[in-house]
Amino acid sequence: MTVLPFAAQQAADTEETPAARRLPLSWARLRPIVLPLGLFLLWLGGWEWVVDRFPASRSVLAAPSEIAAILVRSFPLLVPHLLSTARDTVMGFALAVVVGVVLGSALAQFRRLNQALFPHLVLFQIVPKIALAPLFIIWLGVGSESRLVFALFLSFFPIAAATATGLAATRPEALRLCAALTAPPWRTFFAVRVPFAIPALFAGLKMGMTMALIGTIVGEFVTGQEGLGYVVMFAAAGADNALTFAALTLLCAVGLVVYGAVVLAEIFAQRWYGAPFVTEGFN
Amino acid sequence: MTGGRQTGRHERLLAFALPVATAIVVALVWQATVTLADIREILLPTPGAIAENLARTLPSLLNQALVTGREALAGFALAVVAGFIGAAAISSSKLLREIFYPAIVAMQLIPKVALAPLFLVFLGIGAEARITFAALLSFFPVLISTAVGLHNTDLTAVRLCRSLGASGWQIFWSVRVPFALPAFFSGARISSTMAVTGVVIAEFISSTDGLGFVIVDQGAHARTAAVFAAITVLCALGLALYGVVAGIEKLSVRWYRG
Repeated sequence: MTVLPFAAQQAADTEETPAARRLPLSWARLRPIVLPLGLFLLWLGGWEWVVDRFPASRSVLAAPSEIAAILVRSFPLLVPHLLSTARDTVMGFALAVVVGVVLGSALAQFRRLNQALFPHLVLFQIVPKIALAPLFIIWLGVGSESRLVFALFLSFFPIAAATATGLAATRPEALRLCAALTAPPWRTFFAVRVPFAIPALFAGLKMGMTMALIGTIVGEFVTGQEGLGYVVMFAAAGADNALTFAALTLLCAVGLVVYGAVVLAEIFAQRWYGAPFVTEGFN
Repeated sequence: MTGGRQTGRHERLLAFALPVATAIVVALVWQATVTLADIREILLPTPGAIAENLARTLPSLLNQALVTGREALAGFALAVVAGFIGAAAISSSKLLREIFYPAIVAMQLIPKVALAPLFLVFLGIGAEARITFAALLSFFPVLISTAVGLHNTDLTAVRLCRSLGASGWQIFWSVRVPFALPAFFSGARISSTMAVTGVVIAEFISSTDGLGFVIVDQGAHARTAAVFAAITVLCALGLALYGVVAGIEKLSVRWYRG
């Protein structure tokens, strides 16, 4: 996870006092949960109060209670858009994983190919690829395909680069041992290189999932046909603030679910290989 | 011995020549495919046509790049300052850390890009909205990297300085910050790309100038060569900003090493 050092620090903080160990519900244990929750409630309450107290703010804001109400009321309307966004993101990501992992593995296996292509991968990571969105409309139309392929395009680069870097990070001793034991290359690849690559690979997958969702949303902005990004833009342009925030809430839920799925997959992969790998964040 | 040195030079030459050769081959294949398969220019212009368009419209594109670049730079500067202050705050106070840690993680996961239309509602369709949106997108990489960097300071060095009677302020600037510099800059480099991305997305949605506007506008008129030309300039802009940050990183690391 990205901010892991803090998590470790917090775990250390909470276990300091012996009193905390005896009482399961002591303040020291509860504060990492209570404090953020308090901030969240304070923020929601303050928001509600501001909208209630200053009616002029309604031109740009909507009260949380109104957002919740419209979320419940318009839910049947929003579901098709939710499904469209989720489908484009997940399909784009899945295809990017296939293409990215295959290319990344090829780069790790063939040194000349790596020399020829890796600099381009790095270059594509730096340039604002988001600017290519209108081209995908020209090529694929304004339908779901162009958003899906744009999501695939954005999420492909971090995955390919992370796979190549991760597979190249295998300990040379382990490879030499395999060579000495005359292991066939494919077994060395799956039994040694892949486990060593897992931390980098999943860092790339998390980045890739984030980029796939960004690609889908930007695609929805520019195609303007369906999806939660389209609803957000449409409602914001019509100054329907409650609907804007309702769609944003759903988008956040989509983001958390798809990212959480990658995190779960990472935990399973680590269990499968039987080692608690430390995963570096993507930034 | 000389054989070894020669293979070394050979390798370095290949490491440079192979990527360049790949780019040239891709451009040639692209040109040949479009010409031979008779693909319409609306779908895919040849690299030659793009270069011709780029050369013709370069002055106006550079003017637009100035608009986009200025906004990206402003957003990036805001994000770096805010991110550094935020990181200093959460790395020095356990209370702040506990309060904000889950919020930061959550903000990292949710798609902030979707907030772009809201910024236009809040701040109008002027430069402020685009700058603020770019700053929001590029704030989190700086914040998280710097906080992790400040947190991972060598504790022995901190203890040594404390026993020598250094104040907390002195320890922060002369021990923690130098230790955190590499992490800070790795965040800042990511932020520089996010800042350009943020401005372009905001220009997509609502703007009357800037490279993002040119791309959407020309795209809507199916002038694909002009779209590619604008993208080329935008990529150059992104690389330039990234290069500047990387350059400052080199200088500051050298300066702190003394």
